Amino acid sequence: MAGAKNHDYHILDPDIWPLIGAFSALTFTTGMVFFMHEMAGWQAILGVGVAGLIATFFGWFSKVVNEAEGGDHTPVVQLHMRYGMILFIASEVMFFVGWFWAFFDFALFPAPLREAAENVWQNMVGQEGAALLAQFPPEGVEVLDPFSLPLLNTLILLCSGTTVTWAHHALINGDRDGLKKGLWLTIALGVLFTCIQAYEYAHAPFGFGGNTYSSAFYMATGFHGFHVLVGTIFLIVCLVRSYKGHFTPRQHFGFEAAAWYWHFVDVVWLFLFIAVYIWGGWGAPVAH
Amino acid sequence: MATTAEGFDTHNGDHAHHDADHKPGFFARWFMSTNHKDIGTLYLIFAIVAGIVGGAISGGMRLELAEPGVQWLGTFVGWLGGDPLSFDQQGHMWNVLITAHGLIMVFFMVMPAMIGGFGNWFVPLMIGAPDMAFPRMNNISFWLTVAGFCSLLFSMFVPGGIGMGAGVGWTVYAPLSTSGSVGPATDFAIFSLHLAGAGSILGATNFITTIFNMRAPGMTLHKMPLFVWSVLVTAFLLLLALPVLAAAITMLLTDRNFGTTFFDAAGGGDPILYQHLFWFFGHPEVYIMILPGFGMISQIVATFSRKPVFGYLGMAYAMVAIGVVGFIVWAHHMYTVGLSVNTKMYFTAATMVIAVPTGIKIFSWIATMWGGSITFKSPMVWAMGFIFLFTVGGVTGVVLANGGVDDNLHDTYYVVAHFHYVLSMGAVFSMFAGWYYWFPKMSGRWHSEFLAHLHFWVFFIGVNVVFFPMHFLGVQGMARRYPDFTAAFAHWNWVASVGYVIVLASVAIFFINMIYAFVAGRRAEDNYWGEGATTLEWSLSSPPPYHQFETLPVIEDHHSADDHISSKSATA
Amino acid sequence: MIFGDIARKKLSFLALLAAALSFVIVPQSSFAQDATTSVDESVAESQSVADGEVVMETDSSAFEHFGPEMIKGQPTSYEDDAWASMNFQEQYTDNGNYALGMHDKLLMPIITVISLFVLGLLLWVVAKYRKGANPVPSKTSHNTLIEVIWTVVPVIILVVIAVPSITLIARQYAAPPAEAITIKANGYQWYWGYEYVDNGGFEVISNMLDESASLDAGEPYQLAVDNRMVVPVGVPIRLQTFGADVIHSFGIPSLWFKLDAVPGRINEKILTINEEGIYYGQCMELCGARHGYMPIAIEARSMEDYNAWVQAQGGMTLEQIADEAAAAAAAEAAEEDAESAEDAAEAGDTEGEAEAEAAEADAAEADAA
Ligand code: HEA
Ligand code: HEA
Ligand code: CUA
Ligand SMILES: [Cu+2]
Repeated sequence: MAGAKNHDYHILDPDIWPLIGAFSALTFTTGMVFFMHEMAGWQAILGVGVAGLIATFFGWFSKVVNEAEGGDHTPVVQLHMRYGMILFIASEVMFFVGWFWAFFDFALFPAPLREAAENVWQNMVGQEGAALLAQFPPEGVEVLDPFSLPLLNTLILLCSGTTVTWAHHALINGDRDGLKKGLWLTIALGVLFTCIQAYEYAHAPFGFGGNTYSSAFYMATGFHGFHVLVGTIFLIVCLVRSYKGHFTPRQHFGFEAAAWYWHFVDVVWLFLFIAVYIWGGWGAPVAH
Repeated sequence: MATTAEGFDTHNGDHAHHDADHKPGFFARWFMSTNHKDIGTLYLIFAIVAGIVGGAISGGMRLELAEPGVQWLGTFVGWLGGDPLSFDQQGHMWNVLITAHGLIMVFFMVMPAMIGGFGNWFVPLMIGAPDMAFPRMNNISFWLTVAGFCSLLFSMFVPGGIGMGAGVGWTVYAPLSTSGSVGPATDFAIFSLHLAGAGSILGATNFITTIFNMRAPGMTLHKMPLFVWSVLVTAFLLLLALPVLAAAITMLLTDRNFGTTFFDAAGGGDPILYQHLFWFFGHPEVYIMILPGFGMISQIVATFSRKPVFGYLGMAYAMVAIGVVGFIVWAHHMYTVGLSVNTKMYFTAATMVIAVPTGIKIFSWIATMWGGSITFKSPMVWAMGFIFLFTVGGVTGVVLANGGVDDNLHDTYYVVAHFHYVLSMGAVFSMFAGWYYWFPKMSGRWHSEFLAHLHFWVFFIGVNVVFFPMHFLGVQGMARRYPDFTAAFAHWNWVASVGYVIVLASVAIFFINMIYAFVAGRRAEDNYWGEGATTLEWSLSSPPPYHQFETLPVIEDHHSADDHISSKSATA
Repeated sequence: MIFGDIARKKLSFLALLAAALSFVIVPQSSFAQDATTSVDESVAESQSVADGEVVMETDSSAFEHFGPEMIKGQPTSYEDDAWASMNFQEQYTDNGNYALGMHDKLLMPIITVISLFVLGLLLWVVAKYRKGANPVPSKTSHNTLIEVIWTVVPVIILVVIAVPSITLIARQYAAPPAEAITIKANGYQWYWGYEYVDNGGFEVISNMLDESASLDAGEPYQLAVDNRMVVPVGVPIRLQTFGADVIHSFGIPSLWFKLDAVPGRINEKILTINEEGIYYGQCMELCGARHGYMPIAIEARSMEDYNAWVQAQGGMTLEQIADEAAAAAAAEAAEEDAESAEDAAEAGDTEGEAEAEAAEADAAEADAA
């Protein structure tokens, strides 16, 4: 009776991409180790790994798109996708919880830099003594002015949240032109955000690492930036698909997933902006 | 059990359809699989391989600890290409062994077997689904686990500071794992967790989606078999705990290689932060390793008592409670790091709370047997062994939960004894129970019940001889992660090492039994455990068809229109 | 025979006197508070003790370490006492006794009873409800009363445990009294350094003795050290821990004491030892290749002995420090007077410079070690 399926679930044929993807990931991490330890051949290994991963994403998602267009994504399968995406975003939220945890640990319970404190500690008693010496951001760190470029970036992301909603409503109402315009705008805003972020990194008054403030700052905003990049690519895929005539007013989960992801990235930024840029830099000298 | 397969045909001669089963060719079937049962099989094979490796490493450890002095580590150092005579490399070798043992057993034996193996095989079968929600993603979950294992193996053969391999413990505490171990080995080990963790997160997404959306018509959440409940709760723990670990170990990587100072005191960082992040993951992780076991034990106890599970709802929500409370007790692993007094009191109280829902489970299992008509087939014997030994491990956990008492027990062999009672006995007993329960279903062939019983008794004696004396060593003050010990500890260490030989014999019996089953095992009927076994997998052939439930089964007296299209195709 | 003995004693007395004299003559800065010196010294000392030659009893400020007969806190082997080898070490602090009592009289009985209860129930169902004995299963799957009972009874048991447990924690965290003596245990890869913060700040470096040395000294191998951590008995010690490189943990089973030594933070806990004696402990946090080989040996001594030992290490007793502080205050007052006369400043400066240089040299030496 195989093949005579009487349900709406999606039974897939065997596929090579998972195997390629997993071992590309292994190649990538191995390449990273080689790179970090400056071992010979890291360029080749890392290159193969990254290429494999890109190929996997491309090959895999092409298949998914084809299946969607081929009618395999029945309502229940679309429901799976929704659950899958929500759960994936939930796990991403927990990932950022880790970075915020580190940030708040440093900000609320700062430790004095050891060099500064070493001799003092000889006569200091316990944590209370140490806490007297502590401040956050650590002594000597100049921070970015939150109300200059970061505020601009906040506005950019908020705008992009509305443009992507515009695109969504256009799609639902069968306005393909509005969909494309909305997507174009969202992508443009996303790219602009990334450029401003890159500019700011390049001109930041503190280097990467070396103290808790810059460590938490760069890793948290950096992972956010990476997510913006991924979200932008996701939106570009949607744009390309909309030019190809994909998506219908009733079935367009690929687009919705991209939008959800984009909103998630947006919300993370709001937290970063408030916690790291405004609150976290409060009282520290601002660089100009 | 609330779910019943009554009401539809289980003897519809599906053998006739077997050739229409249309299995792909060898490579496509096993390397490109999108079939939940094949992926489950792959996971189980992988877990057994990892179990052999992890068990062999623990053998090397017991060999070394059999008597005072360092006798064997030099040899092991030699195998990895180090200097066998270097005292420091020998000591480092010990740390590499325990790290590999802990990580392999946790991430590559128990988790793949329980969730990847049994979860993949039986969650869809029990809820009446044809497959998982994301079959292709299911496959990458598996291969990422393999990739993670490879990365861990790589780490053993590259420099990790003092010698070859990562000698940081399965907890990978900073700053030993950052400034304390230069060399690529620790990076490989960290990436190993990234890879396996990514696989598990994807798997968790898959299970939750499957369980929420693919239950057969009529199977409400409250009719779901308890094993499915257990996997559901486990999947949520994975989904929410693993990303925090991912963040933590990423901080390790950047501290090690890119100059950040998350855990580096010289840059104002906080080594204790790592422990918070790790145990925020780590404590849910220990329930991840036991909850699917709880689920299997529930199925088995009900089956062999020929009674429905006692207090079904209480059982389901006890697991939910364990999962929820499991997220707010993590610092009981950190009682000696210098917590404030209030923090320590809070974590003491919160930790003890978990004994209540766990007790509900223990007593409900016993109440299930109460009044039953029990047959002592091998799965049942393993299940009863589980209930007792898990209780022993659980109550020593309650001792450790007392922050003031733990001051003396922390990082001693008492802790090692505790967690091997809940893991090497709890988790592993439930795995073997599940294995003997479902092996004929999965393979279509019978194992020898005699050998299965023998396996149980030898293993039961063996693990107790290994791990019970560790309580004595612990209260006497023997520290964990020591390659050597003072003469006073010699006796009980020797006993433990003797116990390992018994365990080894039992594992040999297990493999003999498997060989027997595949060579000479008789064929298994559909529902070989008889009337007590009521969940949907027993309505299928053994082994089940390549694609089951092409027409969805309907639970209880709900009949939908679809059911009439082909009422006899439930198993084809 | 007797004459020979006396002569030998006299001789050693003379040698000692000479040594003491030379100590006095050598400028202060060259030996005080120096880790390396104290290691050399005590190595020499322990060697000569092992040779059975130098005995310091005659010198009033001399100090003699306890011999193996004073070992109190150490594990017991099965061969010596099977029962003791399966239980906690005897406790020598009040909190330790409280905790031990809580374990032995409360926790242990409870967990034993629970385990046996579960085992008993299992055996009972095996006997009563096997298929042979009970061919027809009942279909009961609910009983609210019993479910409430097995929820509430464990809650009660846990509350019973929680009360002394919380009390114990509160006791362990009692604030150190003002007169507590601060001693800091620094964990290094792979040895301990004990810094006597209140006694002039000298640091004693403590390494594990090798097998033959520990057996010669009559002490257990892997627990014996070259320089013990000498502490006063009966008085509260504000014990601080600090990790110099990675995390170590300062754990002594017979004192119910364990505190991690973490880089970047100073942990602190109060420790009051009830009896004179030697208490062994070990590093209890994985810290690398020789994690298993950095034992701790605490020697608890009367206050007089402690002071004598402190002085022998080149440190100062609390009294001396108080005196010195008073003198310094007086001197400062005098100096302030002099300052108005301008000239003394230069002399003071050069002196200060010389001192700083000496201190720097010491630090460098310590680093190199
Ligand atoms: C499967 C894994 C598993 C499970 C289920 C548990 C269960 C529990 N664990 Fe365990 N634990 C580990 C795995 C596990 N643990 C591991 C791996 C470590 C060490 C990690 C490392 O450092 O490497 C560890 C360490 C560990 C510590 C830290 C010790 C230390 O390092 O100092 C503590 C402290 O609180 C603890 C407590 C508990 C408690 C209270 C439970 C409870 O959930 C137990 C509840 C069960 C029962 C209590 C029995 C049944 C109940 C009844 C019959 C009802 C009546 C009972 C009472 C009223 C008491 N565990
Ligand atoms: C599930 C987890 C698990 C399991 C099963 C075991 C099993 C064993 N462990 Fe394990 N152990 C850990 C987890 C586990 N351990 C962890 C987390 C640590 C801490 C590491 C650290 O400090 O960082 C540790 C540490 C540890 C130590 C302390 C080391 C030290 O602190 O210095 C010792 C010492 O004897 C030890 C011994 C053993 C022995 C003899 C077994 C024997 O029971 C082994 C016998 C073999 C088996 C039981 C495997 C059989 C299974 C299969 C063949 C697969 C079957 C598969 C299917 C049915 C699908 N272990
Ligand atoms: Cu120092 Cu372990
Ligand atoms: Cu825990």
